[in-house]
Amino acid sequence: MENYLSFVTIDLWTLIFTWGNLLILFLLMKKLLFKPVTDILNKREQEVNDIYDNANTTKEEAANLKSEYTAKLADAKNTAEQIIEGAVKKAQQDEEKIIKDARFKAEQIIKRAEENIELEKKNAFNKLKNDISGMAVSLASKIVERDVDETEHHKMIDEFIDSIGEAS
Amino acid sequence: MDITLITRAIVLGASAIGAGIAMIAGIGPGIGQGIAVSRALEAIGRQPECKGDVTTTMLLGCAVAESTGIYSLVIALILIYANPLVNLIAG
Amino acid sequence: MNIQGPEIYYRLPGGIHITETIVNMWILMAVITAVCAYLGHGLKDKPDSRRQVIAEFIVSKLYNMVSEVMGKKNLNFAPYIGTLITLSAFGSLCALIGMRPITADLSVTLAWAIVTFVMVQTFRIKKRGIGKYLKSFFEPTPVIAPLNIISEIANPVSMAFRHFGNIASGVVITSLIYMALAGLSSMVIKIIPIPVLQLGIPAFLSIYFDLFTGVLQAYIFCMLTMVFVAGATE
Repeated sequence: MENYLSFVTIDLWTLIFTWGNLLILFLLMKKLLFKPVTDILNKREQEVNDIYDNANTTKEEAANLKSEYTAKLADAKNTAEQIIEGAVKKAQQDEEKIIKDARFKAEQIIKRAEENIELEKKNAFNKLKNDISGMAVSLASKIVERDVDETEHHKMIDEFIDSIGEAS
Repeated sequence: MDITLITRAIVLGASAIGAGIAMIAGIGPGIGQGIAVSRALEAIGRQPECKGDVTTTMLLGCAVAESTGIYSLVIALILIYANPLVNLIAG
Repeated sequence: MNIQGPEIYYRLPGGIHITETIVNMWILMAVITAVCAYLGHGLKDKPDSRRQVIAEFIVSKLYNMVSEVMGKKNLNFAPYIGTLITLSAFGSLCALIGMRPITADLSVTLAWAIVTFVMVQTFRIKKRGIGKYLKSFFEPTPVIAPLNIISEIANPVSMAFRHFGNIASGVVITSLIYMALAGLSSMVIKIIPIPVLQLGIPAFLSIYFDLFTGVLQAYIFCMLTMVFVAGATE
């Protein structure tokens, strides 16, 4: 029996064995190499994605915190400004009030002083008028002697002085 | 003289000549691959950064273009090693 | 001339015969399985061994190639393509250690090509439905139907012949060279019965015929499989 196949030949049993071998090797390689390695690659990819996601969330959180703090800081600044503004306003108001009061008081003092002066002046004037009229009466009585009615003379002199006072 | 022996001899001789003639087909792929390589070299000269891609594609194309030559080789091999014509002769 | 096909090792009852090709394929399968088991066992999340880096490199390269040629949706073909390219490349490269390459047997390459052919036709029927699938043979005119059928069948045949022819030509030329060198050394150095010239010279030819051609043909076979199947699924 021929112990060699021909060089160029199609052998049915070789075909069948080749298919079987290919299937077996396919299953073996898939189980032993491809599946574990792809599993581990996918797992790693998943992990990397997770890490990236985590990083993104952390970043977002940080951004949120930052904006929050910025807002708070701005708020605090505003409040401080408001306080300062209020204080300044109040101080200004106080100042104005104090000045007003002072001015009012000063005016009152001046007014009173003027009134006093006026009163004094009037008093002095009256006194002077009385003195002058007394003196004039005594002088006139001395001149005219006894036939002069004293009250008549007083009245006359007063009118005279009044006319002077009005003129002056 | 056995007539079948002479017939066999003639068939074998003709097969050998046929195998030789079949291998003339090797000219085609040779020229074709030469053209392909020259074009690939031009491409590499124009764009040296594509050298890897061009080389891979060229090898692929060459190997495919070679198939006609390979067919003739298979025919030659059949004629020499697995001659179907000899078996046609009875005896 | 003793250039022969694969040797028949065992004849089992029922006409089953185990040839050299099959035995070599089993040996290769054992080697490949052992390598896969070595590369694929005890993988960790953080690669701490060169073994795992190599395994990840190979697998991710394969998946990249498949997704590039076939698209992302056909990524589940990658294990089959990986098996095919490994068996094909190892089947040609085993000539380097003196085994008969399994791809120098037309039955093997034809079996692989038939798998591709069946896959292509199945996906085409699945994709278009049986009516449209049958109709596609009668386009553009019914007259051309035989030609369409022949061109469909020509694809696996040409794939099988291409792979087989490249490797087989290597086998033929290598054995011719061995014979020529044996004759030459017995002519030149008559005293020593060992063919001295056979020692180193065929190694250089082996680099082209076994290493380069073997790997390239494995790559092309898988590339064509991918292109055909991808064409059928879209």
